[in-house]
Amino acid sequence: MKWKNVKLIFKRELRDQLRDRRTLFTVAIMPLVLYPLMGMAMLQVAQFMREYPTKVWVIGADNMPTEPAFLVDGGINPEFVTDEEQALIHLGLSDEGDTEFQKIVKQLREQDDIPSGPALFDELIKTEMKRRGFDVAVIIPSPIELPDPLQRRSKNLDSGDEPDSTGDQIEEESKTSIYVFQNSANDKSRMGAERFNGALHKWKIKTIKDTLSSHDVPLSLVTGIGITSADVADQVGIQAATWSKILPFIIMIWSLTGAFYPAIDLCAGEKERGTFETLLSSPAARSEIAIGKLLTVISFSMATSILNLISMGFTGMFVVSKMGSTMGGLSLGAPPLACIGWLLLALIPISALFSAVALAAAAFARSSKEGQYYLVPLMMISMPLMMVPMLPAAQLDFGTSLIPVSGLMLMLRGLIEGQYAECIRFAGPVCAVTIVCCWLSVRWVVSQFNSETVLFRASERVSIGSWFKHIMAERDQLPSVGSAILCGVVILVAKFFIGFAVQAPGSFGGFAIQTVIILVATVAVPAIMMALVLTRNAVSSLKLRGCSLPMASAAVLAAICLNPLMTWFTGLVMQIYPPSGDLVQLERVVSHILTSAPGLWAIILVFAVAPAVLEEIAFRGFILSGLQSLRSKWQAILITSFLFGIAHGVIQQTMITFAVGMILGVIAVQTRSIIPCILFHMTHNSLAVLLSSAKGSVVENSAFLSQVLYTANGENYQYAIIPGILMSVVGVMLIVWFIRLDATPVVRTERSKLSRLFARIFPLKPQT
Amino acid sequence: MIHVRQLTKIYKDIHSGHFTALNGISFDAMPGQIYGLLGPNGAGKTTALRILSTVLKPTSGTAVVNGFDVISHPEQVRRQIGFVSCNTAIYDRMTSWEMIHYFGQLYGMEPEKLQIRMESLFEKFQMNEIRNVLCSKMSTGMKQKVSIVRAMVHNPPVLVFDEATSGLDILVAREVLKTVEQLCDHGKCVIFSSHIMSEVKRLCDRVAIMNRGNILAEGSIEDLSRKYEQDDLEELFYQMISVSEKQHEAELTNMR
Repeated sequence: MKWKNVKLIFKRELRDQLRDRRTLFTVAIMPLVLYPLMGMAMLQVAQFMREYPTKVWVIGADNMPTEPAFLVDGGINPEFVTDEEQALIHLGLSDEGDTEFQKIVKQLREQDDIPSGPALFDELIKTEMKRRGFDVAVIIPSPIELPDPLQRRSKNLDSGDEPDSTGDQIEEESKTSIYVFQNSANDKSRMGAERFNGALHKWKIKTIKDTLSSHDVPLSLVTGIGITSADVADQVGIQAATWSKILPFIIMIWSLTGAFYPAIDLCAGEKERGTFETLLSSPAARSEIAIGKLLTVISFSMATSILNLISMGFTGMFVVSKMGSTMGGLSLGAPPLACIGWLLLALIPISALFSAVALAAAAFARSSKEGQYYLVPLMMISMPLMMVPMLPAAQLDFGTSLIPVSGLMLMLRGLIEGQYAECIRFAGPVCAVTIVCCWLSVRWVVSQFNSETVLFRASERVSIGSWFKHIMAERDQLPSVGSAILCGVVILVAKFFIGFAVQAPGSFGGFAIQTVIILVATVAVPAIMMALVLTRNAVSSLKLRGCSLPMASAAVLAAICLNPLMTWFTGLVMQIYPPSGDLVQLERVVSHILTSAPGLWAIILVFAVAPAVLEEIAFRGFILSGLQSLRSKWQAILITSFLFGIAHGVIQQTMITFAVGMILGVIAVQTRSIIPCILFHMTHNSLAVLLSSAKGSVVENSAFLSQVLYTANGENYQYAIIPGILMSVVGVMLIVWFIRLDATPVVRTERSKLSRLFARIFPLKPQT
Repeated sequence: MIHVRQLTKIYKDIHSGHFTALNGISFDAMPGQIYGLLGPNGAGKTTALRILSTVLKPTSGTAVVNGFDVISHPEQVRRQIGFVSCNTAIYDRMTSWEMIHYFGQLYGMEPEKLQIRMESLFEKFQMNEIRNVLCSKMSTGMKQKVSIVRAMVHNPPVLVFDEATSGLDILVAREVLKTVEQLCDHGKCVIFSSHIMSEVKRLCDRVAIMNRGNILAEGSIEDLSRKYEQDDLEELFYQMISVSEKQHEAELTNMR
């Protein structure tokens, strides 16, 4: 690749885009204008919020006690409200001549209790409130007497009642209440009620205080022990926490948006104008063109993001300082300088990734319009990934660090918050995932530019029928790389949805049936169906051929001998990534169910035999067969194991099954049959079941087992070090024997289009 | 200069399975000669020329341009060729000078040489008035002129005109044809594809008549007239195409 040409193309594209009004608008004008406009709108809205007073309809104001007085001169006593609040509460007092008022009061008198809920009375109030234009209605149905226990007691004594009956009195007393009716569906009404309640609450406290002090009761009797909460976070910390949630999202969303239009214009637009062919017939190589264009898109993506950040920052600071009083003391200063640095650093890979994906998708489009169709789903897919750090519960751990965009976002959040120690722990996986994603997407762009079917795509009449016919006519003896990966994806998606649909069964029978059905439905059926439909030879696609006795016995022996190694590896994984609470819970449920199993044979059937047969058909059968058309068998084994691992869901299991998958892949490729794989898988799983249920009596009575196994706590048996290592050596030797086997390559008729594409994306040197 | 042997191009098509755009064509074009590819739309002319300009890869067969193979040395081949396509294919948001300068740089020309070459070309094609005009503001004729100058900026030994006159009015088309004629005088090898008989008759030294990916007849215009005893080239063209179409239909019915 000549960098001179790349630079030339980059400079031209950049100049071209800068002369395009649409691009300039989205990249520069929009952010510069959008945020000030939004800020202005927010200020306007804030002003509306201030200007609207609420009208409160007070019914039965005469029933309020005179001391301490709540209502004074047709308004609330200034003692309980600030001047501002006073101005915002307009009281409407009903007088005696009001017929509607009379009606309500009459009804109040008739009823002992004011019904809650949409009863007739509520309806009456509601219609009256609406008719008179009140937002809040306050009803004081009966004269309120201030609680005065001493008075009451003396009254009781006077009348000669039993002291017991005070209970009734108290109950009755609680009925004298002030009712505040609000319409919570209406913001104005809700806020008015809040203000009024605030004043009422202050008045209530005052009455209590007055009553207590009039009887010489200390105030602390009711206030209890004071609790004071304080925020130890400093101002910068609070700001960083706020910024760390907002800024990464803004950076990402704009770097994606900024990549959109240049990407479409640079690919689909050029195709539309016919200049693409001219460029392709110039000496510049395809890769040079692709990289030059990619750099342009990256530049625009970054520029959009930075401009938006700056514009938003300035507007934000201005608006926040203006609105400070209404926002309840939320002060957002300028983001810390270090935070800007991290953002800019993260922006580079993010822009590169989004730009490359957008460009590759846009390269496929024939016209700008078509390009937009492709990029909308891209937006939809990346949105949830970008939303992750906005979730308060999202944490950077090994699992999340492996999710492409999200891991980087979470790390960025951590860095802005200053949690460097946390971030450094996961910097490795996050950077690795990001770099791999960037590299893959750049390769995708280059491969798109190298593909003439992509560049000179004619519009085709598409119908499901003809497409299906095409697939049937084009299918090979064995599955293609594309259909193998499709099968893997189908399995993953099916597992994902089934995981939501099923409920934990109660008995072992239910558990067994459920496990087997899930395996059949999500793993075996997709693979078998695809083998039948997408290949001409389903039997060899699923590797359903016999194998020699030495191979079969070697597989069983290898599984036994490698078991100590796998057990230790499992222990190591569990130590590095301790199982989460959910997982422990699940294990507990499963082990509880297992106690009701009819016997060990049943557990082995469910945990060893069924998964061995069904998973091998799909993974070592269909998927591996398809991926074997890649140039390197190791590549095929690696990808198969990766899918096999991911299909197991939990991170710990993923790592363990990935390792098992590698061994199974080697056996499958070398023996060209899944029978040894099934045997290995079955033996491996059975041993795990047996080991976990090994009983002391059995082990001690066996000369062999008592040598190989030991127990630390008398319950769980472990492999002893020396025998374990010896077994592992034998196991590794057996695997080497498998690798040395002469695996005569299956003659393939023709490499399919997808496998060629795949080989371009993963160009590994051919195996010698 | 250009040697094409058994060139075949098969596109994959969802409906018919495969579509043979070129069915093993062979021809040779010499320097100082204008070679015409004549055929109706869909005959495979553009596919053939795109393979020559290495934009497409042939399914089988070879093509050698000025000693370089299109499959093994595509980059050198692209340096030998100036390609003018049917759509004017120029960048709207660049001036004619900028655009031609850009392509000159892409062809790796040294700045001084490029400057001299461009000055002389702009002089020759009377384009100094539109030197700093954005291409989007130009008429189709001007655009095609820019496109031709763009193809010639690196002084390639081979020039390919793919239906370069389609969509142009008579005046501009004549201008283009005149340019092509001049190029031939300079000893360049010109390949000119068209579906317009009169252009081919006027320009070309040798003609290949194509239909459905096959060359039906090839030779100088006099050769063809003599061989098929038909002086009117237009009539000859029409006859050959209709015979070929009938054969194709017969084949289709046989297949059913």
